[in-house]
Amino acid sequence: MNALSPRLSPAPAMSPPNAARIGIGGPVGSGKTALIEALLPVLQARGVSVAVVTNDLVTAEDAERLRRSGIIDPARVLAVEAGACPHTVIREDPTLNMLAADELDARFPELDLVIIESGGDNLASTFSLDLVDWWIFVIDVAGGGDIPRKRGPGVLQCDLLVVNKVDLAPHVGVDLDVMLEEARHVRGGRPLVATACRAGLNIDQVADAIADAVLLRR
Amino acid sequence: MKTAGLLTALRFGDSAFPGGGFAFSQGLEGLAPLRGATPDADAVAAFLDEQISHRWGPAERVTLVRCHRAAGTGGAAADDDGADTAMDEGALDAVAALDRDLDLSTFSQTLRRGARRNGAAFLAAHLRLGTPGAGAYRGRIASGAAPGTLAAIQGLLWRRAGLDETEAAALAGYQLVAGGLTAATRLGLVGALGAQALMPVLLGRVADVVSRPVAADEEPSGFSPYAEIAAARQARLPLRLFSN
Repeated sequence: MNALSPRLSPAPAMSPPNAARIGIGGPVGSGKTALIEALLPVLQARGVSVAVVTNDLVTAEDAERLRRSGIIDPARVLAVEAGACPHTVIREDPTLNMLAADELDARFPELDLVIIESGGDNLASTFSLDLVDWWIFVIDVAGGGDIPRKRGPGVLQCDLLVVNKVDLAPHVGVDLDVMLEEARHVRGGRPLVATACRAGLNIDQVADAIADAVLLRR
Repeated sequence: MKTAGLLTALRFGDSAFPGGGFAFSQGLEGLAPLRGATPDADAVAAFLDEQISHRWGPAERVTLVRCHRAAGTGGAAADDDGADTAMDEGALDAVAALDRDLDLSTFSQTLRRGARRNGAAFLAAHLRLGTPGAGAYRGRIASGAAPGTLAAIQGLLWRRAGLDETEAAALAGYQLVAGGLTAATRLGLVGALGAQALMPVLLGRVADVVSRPVAADEEPSGFSPYAEIAAARQARLPLRLFSN
């Protein structure tokens, strides 16, 4: 047999994941890990069983930070090396992240949600829908008020845009109202939440969005 | 090589096929600390040549070829949803035995783990694509009956996907070279054109190795201590880009 489509059978031939899978992407330093640190207690208080996969560019910095935080069982955090390709591991070839999420599903049968944190990248990163059901892109005011105007695929395509560190706007010369208005404009009115993760500002709104999108309301 | 086989090999050999290989350097990332200096193009080529000649050729290739042969003993009638026939059960058991042999013969822990992880990623893609045998073999890995090394799964699934023995071995050799040179490029050891300049000699080595017959009872027998030491060093690096 040497055919291009040998015995094509209906895909996929595997059991569906137990837990919903969401992605959190965004530039380096925008606050992806801080958002997860703020979200975990809120989700846990709502009875959501959560695990996290991190995609650090080098080492397991973010994974270790979460494991040591005391806010999540360290066994619920897995790190996946990105092979110097943070785009590839969440988009073109997400198989290693799929495996990590599958492993968490197998370890914790009661799991409701797997959060897959992208390695810090630029505005072009997007998540494969083979990997996640829904995804967040995080930018921050300290990265520049003009980020929404640059219309990166991450900003445009994500299901929820989080504009973080809004408390810093007066200190970095950003007109927050203009930045948020431009973000709404380039996204055609799709969802956006302004946060200050360190201060816990609007984290409930992000949790609500996750619950509405992929969880039974909790 | 017939056109259909060529196109199938191109499909699976293309970086657009999501098999997880991009995250593995096979120890190349550990080469700099081992040498005490940044490896140049000649060092990269020598490293990969050792992998081809002394590890992949006598070990992974042997397992791949024997798994390819074993996979053909009952696979044509197999379903992919776990309802495989008794005949295919025997074929998959034979593949699993060869898989275990390769795993046990791999001294380096980081390379052994890497072969399993890369095999799992490769299998995950074929599972979702519905390649015959993928589901049943995943069950063997889940039960602990098979470790799931990349070479064994390549032999099984590329056979089931329609590649003949030589095509499958050549494709695996190509991916070893292409993956190694891509890793070297991302590590900044060579440029993209410099990597391409190394290709002809390394692919020539692959062609030479692939042309060597594999006996019906041949066992994996790789010996590449330099690469294994490099892989061990990589595993202890404080900053790592690659899985191994």
